Amino acid sequence: MTSAAPPAPRASRRAGLTVLLRRVGAGIGTLPLSLAAALLVGFALTALVSDEPLRAWLALLTGPLPEFHLGTQGWELRRVVLFGAAIEDAITLALLGLAIALPFRARQFTLGADGQMFLGALAAVATSLALAAWPAMVVLPASLLAAMLVGGAWGLLPGWMRVRHGASEIVTSLMLNLVAVQLFRLILSEWMSDPGAGFIATPLLPPAASLGALIPGTHVSAMLIAVPLLAWAAQAMLDRTSAGYALRAVGQAPDFARRMGLPVARTVMLSTALGGLFAGLAGLHVSHALLGRLPVDLPAGLGYEGLVVALLARNQPRAIPMAALLYAYLRAGGQAMERGTDVPREMVLVIQALIILFVVSERLWPRLAEALARWRSRRGAPAVETVEPSPGVAT
Amino acid sequence: MSAAMNTPWDTATSAAMNIAMGASSDTPPGSAPIGAATPGRLSLHGVSKRYPTGTLAVDQVSLSIAPGEVHAIVGENGAGKSTVMKMLYGLEQPSAGDIRLDGRPVRWRTPREAIAAGMGLVPQHVTLVPSFTVAENVVLGQEPRRGPLLDTRVAIEQVAETARRFGLPLDPRTPVSRLSLGEQQAVGLLKALHQGARILMLDEPTAVLAPQQAAALMTALRRYADDGLAVILITHRIAEIREVSDRFTVLRGGRVAGSAATRDVGEAEIAAMVVGRAVVPRRSRPSPASERRTPVLSMRAVAVTDAGGRQTLEDLTLEIAGGEILGIAGVEGNGQGLLADVLAGLVRAERGQVSVDGVPLRGQGDAGIRAARAAGVAALPEDRLHDGVAPDMSITENAIANRHAEPPVVRRGVPGWFGALDLGGAARETARLLRDFGVVAASPEVPIRSLSGGNMQKVVLAREIALAPRLLVASQPTRGVDIGACESLHERLGALRDSGAAVLLISADLDELLALSDRIAVMSHGRLVGHFAAAEVDARRLGLYMTGVCHDPAARADLDAPFTPAEPCSPSASVTPSAPVAPSARSALSAPSTPSAPSTPSAPDEERLP
Repeated sequence: MTSAAPPAPRASRRAGLTVLLRRVGAGIGTLPLSLAAALLVGFALTALVSDEPLRAWLALLTGPLPEFHLGTQGWELRRVVLFGAAIEDAITLALLGLAIALPFRARQFTLGADGQMFLGALAAVATSLALAAWPAMVVLPASLLAAMLVGGAWGLLPGWMRVRHGASEIVTSLMLNLVAVQLFRLILSEWMSDPGAGFIATPLLPPAASLGALIPGTHVSAMLIAVPLLAWAAQAMLDRTSAGYALRAVGQAPDFARRMGLPVARTVMLSTALGGLFAGLAGLHVSHALLGRLPVDLPAGLGYEGLVVALLARNQPRAIPMAALLYAYLRAGGQAMERGTDVPREMVLVIQALIILFVVSERLWPRLAEALARWRSRRGAPAVETVEPSPGVAT
Repeated sequence: MSAAMNTPWDTATSAAMNIAMGASSDTPPGSAPIGAATPGRLSLHGVSKRYPTGTLAVDQVSLSIAPGEVHAIVGENGAGKSTVMKMLYGLEQPSAGDIRLDGRPVRWRTPREAIAAGMGLVPQHVTLVPSFTVAENVVLGQEPRRGPLLDTRVAIEQVAETARRFGLPLDPRTPVSRLSLGEQQAVGLLKALHQGARILMLDEPTAVLAPQQAAALMTALRRYADDGLAVILITHRIAEIREVSDRFTVLRGGRVAGSAATRDVGEAEIAAMVVGRAVVPRRSRPSPASERRTPVLSMRAVAVTDAGGRQTLEDLTLEIAGGEILGIAGVEGNGQGLLADVLAGLVRAERGQVSVDGVPLRGQGDAGIRAARAAGVAALPEDRLHDGVAPDMSITENAIANRHAEPPVVRRGVPGWFGALDLGGAARETARLLRDFGVVAASPEVPIRSLSGGNMQKVVLAREIALAPRLLVASQPTRGVDIGACESLHERLGALRDSGAAVLLISADLDELLALSDRIAVMSHGRLVGHFAAAEVDARRLGLYMTGVCHDPAARADLDAPFTPAEPCSPSASVTPSAPVAPSARSALSAPSTPSAPSTPSAPDEERLP
């Protein structure tokens, strides 16, 4: 190393920081900042309640990872299970995220993913049981179709009530959730329960209808490959078809879309039906890949986690798989933290909530960047004023 | 409203106001020459505003405004006028340079701080709570209280007192929802004055006013300045600068392009400063003298009430032939918007017939809109940002909105609604439109909200014309559009007319109506009250009909209808109440517009109400 290092690196680092500040000021690349901030605050909170905060923190961050080094016993099985659980969870959440995000793009704030998922799963299971004698080539497509149709139809309802009767889709989709969950329990316990199960549940699905595991020891199925494809398809539909164009226009500027003669009513119904379709697929994932049967007490409420995923992805379908993975990873990390350390799981829930709060505070980072840039310019640094002047976009 | 309150901007109370303000002055008369130390003097020194995105909206602007002065800030859209105003009102902070008040640098972080320092803003669209009374709106934010409750009686007294002192004839007890747009603006002005403004900023205040109302407002502003307030008038109407201001500053591209005492320069010079080149005044082009043709648009005895019941159309009969522009003049809110909505298919006529090329327009809502579009109706909506574009979508996506399901935007051969968009084709098509219309844009993929008003309107017009409409309904086509783009839009409208389409031009800009239209109809309270050949009428006469001073009870605007006779002008008996400005119209028009010497500035605190 020579000692004659010029001051150039310092200057370019300054310029780099300036560029970074400007990007953040314009609202670009703020998600990592939000995550980092949430994790930092979370660490501070952990330090308050834990005797060994660093270890607890590492458990949260690395807990779900499988171990790759070869110890005396090879891989630790428990770690694969937790890793698998994170991926399984991510698949469900990604599909539910799509179920929320697509209606959202048409400005339909539906909360009905839960009900659509329940009924979609039930339809898929009923189809699989009815076609138990057929090979997988028939059973699986038929079950998929059933899940999508029933989920989509249940999703269509709030959209239809919105355009036909002006009913708030928030209220109708929530009410339809209640109806769907009770309908699910009624049908399951009255007509589909397996007397030999020992608890109220459907019979086990025939082997032909089960989705096999890609990773041994987990329930990670081919859905892992299907989800990014579905997200891509949803994005392509939005970006590259007439219907997707109408959907975005209706969501961004409804009065404009109306005056342009776009089929507003049809588009609204399409958006909620598409959402239902994805929620139905989430149901199929739960029944066919994770559980192998449907218990009557299938826990409700997962649909609202889809809302968080959609929010993290800012309703961009292409970002949803990653957002779902991130969120599922945090959830699994929370389990690891809870099991392996003295930190209660409640703390993990708090940190998850913090991440969401930071993400939705869209203007926080641009504001901070602007303040920082002003502070630097006052200290005489080459701050934001180094841009090429581009007047004329004011007012 | 009492009888005395029927004339906003009434000149009668100016004497009372003079006394009130003169008495409150604690500065010895004539002792303070206008200079850096004069109380209430506002100055900007090399003020720049750069947004975090890198946009330099205001660049090294310096100007100064003294009490007793009306200072006009002029410039095209995007010149930085609004940004300067926002900085002066604490909505934005300068990135560099100083704002000084009475020589001391100030830094307002919120409008509240700016107001406390004596700034007052009357925005272009005054935001009021419709269900509140005038008094409640005016005291909002600094309510007189009795215990935890609003002291309504004191509020009314205080507001009435302010209104009296400043000659604003508004009844504090009237709910704002009953006021016209012009009166609502007067409430905005009253609010700023009531908050103790020493420096009054008005953002394009005459955009919503009839000529007589505008003239009266100018007279009032002149008077406030003469009584010691400083008035900053943001405008792009050169006539207003000439009429009322002492000095003006021209902004172009965020910089000061020129500044002068108004009496030293002529209109043409100001216009050249604004656009950066000399502007040739347009003159009305006589329409091709062909015999009467069959109408493209025909409306017969149409009557309709809008959902809110605020606007109506009554017994409206009009026709427009192909190759003709029919102008609609009227004070805003007199049914023009409803007329445009009926033609666009949003609202169905309750009685009467509307047809385009002989095809009756039926249905309403989505079906009505599609029927109207299928019949060949295109529209430039009045509220461009809300109805004309999807602001956050790209220029391309906005430009293809009326063709989103057909070639060349959709690939040929792919049927139906899930047809794949041909993004390349759409981009090429858009690039062609942008080139044709001379739209300045970084790229067709940037959000359309980044365009200036003029460029945005060019995109909207390009889109609407692209399908060769039979009828174009143009509502306020050049509102908020700079002079250069305005000319080009006018040429396009003229070209569309010459190609054989019918154009309905609804505009508050009478010069525009007179320059473009073949015939002009005046609307008041949902009726036609006058019908003129554009070549034989002037702004003053239109103004008399717009404000209800005159009224032609038999006015129709079909192709065979007679024009409203020149004399006698029948004072409107049947239309009540007439537009509130009417009685003062003539006096306002004849009011002297030469600036008088600034009077002694008054002390800020004394101007406020006890």
